[in-house]
Amino acid sequence: MDEFLTEMSEILEDDVTMSDALGQFESWDSLASLSVMAMADSRFGVRLVPQELNPAMTLDQLYALILAKKAS
Amino acid sequence: MRLSFRDKAISGLLTVVPANERKFVDEMANFNFSQARSLKLKQVMGYDRHRIVAGPVCASDLAVAGIEHLLAGGHLVRDDIDALIVVTQSPDYLMPATSHVVQGRLGLHADMICLDINQGCAGFIVGLMQGFMLLDQPAVAKVVLVNVDVLSRKVSPRDRNSYPLIGDAASITVLERREDAGVIEAELKMDGTRRETLMIPAGGFRRPSDAETAAMIEDAEGNVRSLDHLKMDGSAVFNFVMTEVPELIGGLLARTGTTVDEVDAFLCHQPNRFMLQKLADKLAVPHEKMPSNVVENFGNSSGVTIPLVTTFNLADALLAGSRKVCLAGFGVGLTWGAMLMRLGPLRFCEMIEYREDV
Repeated sequence: MDEFLTEMSEILEDDVTMSDALGQFESWDSLASLSVMAMADSRFGVRLVPQELNPAMTLDQLYALILAKKAS
Repeated sequence: MRLSFRDKAISGLLTVVPANERKFVDEMANFNFSQARSLKLKQVMGYDRHRIVAGPVCASDLAVAGIEHLLAGGHLVRDDIDALIVVTQSPDYLMPATSHVVQGRLGLHADMICLDINQGCAGFIVGLMQGFMLLDQPAVAKVVLVNVDVLSRKVSPRDRNSYPLIGDAASITVLERREDAGVIEAELKMDGTRRETLMIPAGGFRRPSDAETAAMIEDAEGNVRSLDHLKMDGSAVFNFVMTEVPELIGGLLARTGTTVDEVDAFLCHQPNRFMLQKLADKLAVPHEKMPSNVVENFGNSSGVTIPLVTTFNLADALLAGSRKVCLAGFGVGLTWGAMLMRLGPLRFCEMIEYREDV
């Protein structure tokens, strides 16, 4: 999870906690969304589609989604 | 689909780029985004400058300039051209074909084949396929393959998705039979169900251009474009490339018993540096074997990017000797293809500029 938080902090260019929602960051845009997809792919071997990422989603929920996809 | 070609080779490569160069930092003000986010985009994607036509330059203008350069330099003899293939998505006219326009402007003889192909970022692979197939005819000894696009004229300057990366260019590739050329193995796939991933919605017969299609509309991301403009779904393209292309290249290497080590260079279409580095990582290809410096220097000129990455990075090596290369193109259609071949020694491998003011 530490690795995930570090990556997310880099993508969102801010300090992050697991309860933060993606959309609350000023930097949340299509570029950040693309960066999350790339990070999930390279770090976790998980392929996300843009529809799975929405501004209301918390980092907790994103991490759970990545882990669930990795397990399946 | 598996394809293979025997005793055929690329004998020379020329690329033509507009002399007009534009810098990303000078264009940032056109986008509805903070300067910080635009600079982040520049850094992540590797945008810096791109070559785009300044005036109403057409595909045939770049193609004719390139072929005339080869004729003048003695690399090509007018009457030796048996077939002229033009791969473009920005034709001079809806009809006739741009290949006929080029043939007529150059005054080439009539005993030849002119053929247009509507393909984009995989257009070099598709063009090579068509050219090699024509070389199976005894009467066809020399094919001139032109890849050309001036798509900057169809991209909204206020579209941050596409404008920073678009480039205009042409390439002239000469294809011939060569008995010692060995086998070229290729793999090509197409998926028309995803045809809307990259498209120009209006201007064809389905939706003719009118006042309504010219109206500038802002999307949810803040990009402003009209239906007459090129529209790219960036996330879908990213997912497409990361899913299909490693499988395509990996599959081609596996079935030909080729290791990554044995390939000297992976010469891929150049969407942006970000995607190419991810692609290299997925295939466990060292970054230096997969050059990704075309977008930052010239922009993404769809089907011309494979010739561009080659003439920009490997000209000396390919004039002096040969390299085992894996070519890969992927984009509109959708279309994705890869080709494994020994490339070189080439008779010419060069880049020239097209000047609009002369």
